[in-house]
Amino acid sequence: MLIGIVVCFFCLQGYATSIDETNRYKKRVEGYRSMWESLMPTYTKLQYAGGMGLINSGFGWSYGKNNQWETDILFGIIPKYSSDNAKMTFTLKQNYIPWRKKLNDSFTFEPLECGLYFNTVFSDEFWTKEPDRYPKGYYNFSTRVRTHAFIGQRLRFNIPDKKRLFARSITAFYEISSCDLYIVSAFTNHLNPDDYLRLSFGLKFDIF
Amino acid sequence: MLEAHPYDAYVRGEKNLNGKNIQKITANLKDKKEFRFAFISDTQRWYDETEAMVADINKRGDIDFVIHGGDLSDFGATHEFILQRDIMLKFKMPWVALLGNHDCLGTGEDVFARVWGNPNYCFQAGNVLFICLNTNCMEYDYSEPVPDFSFLETLLKNLPESVEKTIVAMHVPPFDLEFNNNVANVFQLYLKEFPNLQFCMNGHAHHYKINEFFNDGILYYQTPCAKDRGYILFTINEEGYKHELIEY
Repeated sequence: MLIGIVVCFFCLQGYATSIDETNRYKKRVEGYRSMWESLMPTYTKLQYAGGMGLINSGFGWSYGKNNQWETDILFGIIPKYSSDNAKMTFTLKQNYIPWRKKLNDSFTFEPLECGLYFNTVFSDEFWTKEPDRYPKGYYNFSTRVRTHAFIGQRLRFNIPDKKRLFARSITAFYEISSCDLYIVSAFTNHLNPDDYLRLSFGLKFDIF
Repeated sequence: MLEAHPYDAYVRGEKNLNGKNIQKITANLKDKKEFRFAFISDTQRWYDETEAMVADINKRGDIDFVIHGGDLSDFGATHEFILQRDIMLKFKMPWVALLGNHDCLGTGEDVFARVWGNPNYCFQAGNVLFICLNTNCMEYDYSEPVPDFSFLETLLKNLPESVEKTIVAMHVPPFDLEFNNNVANVFQLYLKEFPNLQFCMNGHAHHYKINEFFNDGILYYQTPCAKDRGYILFTINEEGYKHELIEY
């Protein structure tokens, strides 16, 4: 008898907690969803050349008060050319777009875009840190990781509401860049600008 | 200005330069027993100095050919090789290049192979056999035979009768950290198998020096780097040879 009462008591209490738990669970799932939603990339990007790969594609996030910051994650391909095989690259790119000038309903001009990108190559031929066979500091640089600095300009085309398929706007851009290896050579020699500056073109598709 | 990657190994313009220039050297000096050549090395990222050197060598007007002892690039980046190639294409005489340890970085060796050719090669200038060897052992970590003794053996077995003397060029000299020092003595024994070995020459250490590593009378002439604005001029004649350090 006593056992029966105790079991009933616990069952009722369990029921009460489960109502409470369901609400909490729902809230937690909501929180979880909104956290991942906030991490959803806001655009996709295609970029040609610029020392990060011949063709590069990826996604990124616009943020900041006026969406003046953008962070890209790009994957690229270096064709085989005279080497043993084609190689894949990965680029982390940070863009800063301080000003925007609305030209008309369709076009917005961005007179300056600048930033940095870090590029790495997936290949055994390259190293981040010198292999152990070398004495420490023998070459003192990484063949795998490159740092590039760039400036460029962009033109945004706002797609009219009714004609939107997968993006609300498309931005075309060009960039002039240089990488660590080229900058050190440019400082110590009389080189032509096309020996250390690199041109690149791209398109950005704003999803939302 | 459009570039896939600093190490993309995309080569435009002149290729297989060693092959083309060896033909010219051999043809120009056929049956000659007296000639003069310049040994330059380590021009990496000293483009201004390399240009001055090319101008100086051209101005002399008495040099039959030029040998570059390697390290055309500093990082092994493709455009470094192209810049050096384009400067040295201004040589009025034929020229060949060796592979340096810096040239092996990244895709550097692939670019070298495309623009110049194999890292081990030989050619005949008059009655002299020139052997150009890859001695950058540490770069290969035993993945390839460096120095390549089978290359030397094959060469030794197929020597043309017109060869009367031998000169050996390499980037890294014996007993350098980069050399396979376990075989340094064996290497020297092999080299001495060649007809009338005159001397060896190397780059890599960036300053002018004459070494007699094995106490056997065979001298190793070490040429300065481009930064030091110097190179060695060798005159070969029937009596032997003369060398002169030129500073420009």
